[in-house]
Amino acid sequence: MHAARNIRLCTKDCVCLFVCPTGATDTENGQIDFEKCLDGCRLCVDACPSHAIYLVNDNYAPPQVKSQKIKAMMLEMAENKTEQEKIASGIARDAKSPIARQLAKALAVSSRISAEDFLREAGYMLPQGDEVKKLLRALLNSQQQDLPKETIQRLLDLL
Amino acid sequence: MDDMQELSVESLSALCSNLAKACSKQLRTEEAALFDQLSSYYKSKSELPEGKQFKDYSDLVLKELNSDYPKISQQAASDGDRGSLRALTWGEKVSKILRSLLDRYEKQKDSMLENTNVYVCEICGFIYIGNLPPEICPICKVPGFKMLKIQKESV
Ligand code: SF4
Ligand code: SF4
Repeated sequence: MHAARNIRLCTKDCVCLFVCPTGATDTENGQIDFEKCLDGCRLCVDACPSHAIYLVNDNYAPPQVKSQKIKAMMLEMAENKTEQEKIASGIARDAKSPIARQLAKALAVSSRISAEDFLREAGYMLPQGDEVKKLLRALLNSQQQDLPKETIQRLLDLL
Repeated sequence: MDDMQELSVESLSALCSNLAKACSKQLRTEEAALFDQLSSYYKSKSELPEGKQFKDYSDLVLKELNSDYPKISQQAASDGDRGSLRALTWGEKVSKILRSLLDRYEKQKDSMLENTNVYVCEICGFIYIGNLPPEICPICKVPGFKMLKIQKESV
């Protein structure tokens, strides 16, 4: 587990600079230096008066087990939503009035967000999860011509 | 794996854009960028339909409200799957809003949006019409800064 700073909340009180044993809190870009941060130390987390620092897990508990049935249904919902997104994007491309295009764009964004939510609940919540790795491997083996294989391979290496 | 054959390129794109967001939340910037690349790749494979109307969108939403939400919510409830149930509850509320917005648009046409702004909640997809976004999203309760403003192109 390492510390991370929410720049939005940091009020530059700098107590974290005094308590950190490794200097990980003192950086140019305002973020904590994850490489220097000691696993589970959390001194700066407790010291920050603005609650601007939190701990990021390196490992997560396995997600809730889902039935095959609900997984399939969640994928079906995601397909509904991406179908809506497609229609709305088509309207956003073709409509004559800027207001119609604006509304269509909003509908497309909304459908995409719902699709993403249903996909999370179909078992693809955690990027490090087994489902995601299984999917990436399957994608890598698919026959698609111009597939960006290096991207997928790099993800598998990192996750 | 069978999952993959079932998934359309559009769903694969959404799956990857969602994972990109999840990676950013864990401050894994390289992974987030890679998932974004994959998401754009699948998006580029999607062919947008020609000649669609708002009515086509609205029909899909109606179908979802009449048959999918009740059926799937029942399954989620009997599974005790709180996560799915939560997503379905938000989704159903959002769909109802979408329906009534489109009904209104049908009647009022462009005048409905002439002197106002359009926002979409980045977390649940709620669409808000008004000058300023609400302080918290009425559906998923995130703070108003999570409301994305959809710009009107200038004519
Ligand atoms: S102690 Fe908190 S507020 Fe002060 S500089 Fe560190 S993160 Fe920012
Ligand atoms: S958790 Fe400890 S080592 Fe890591 S940045 Fe905070 S004070 Fe430094």
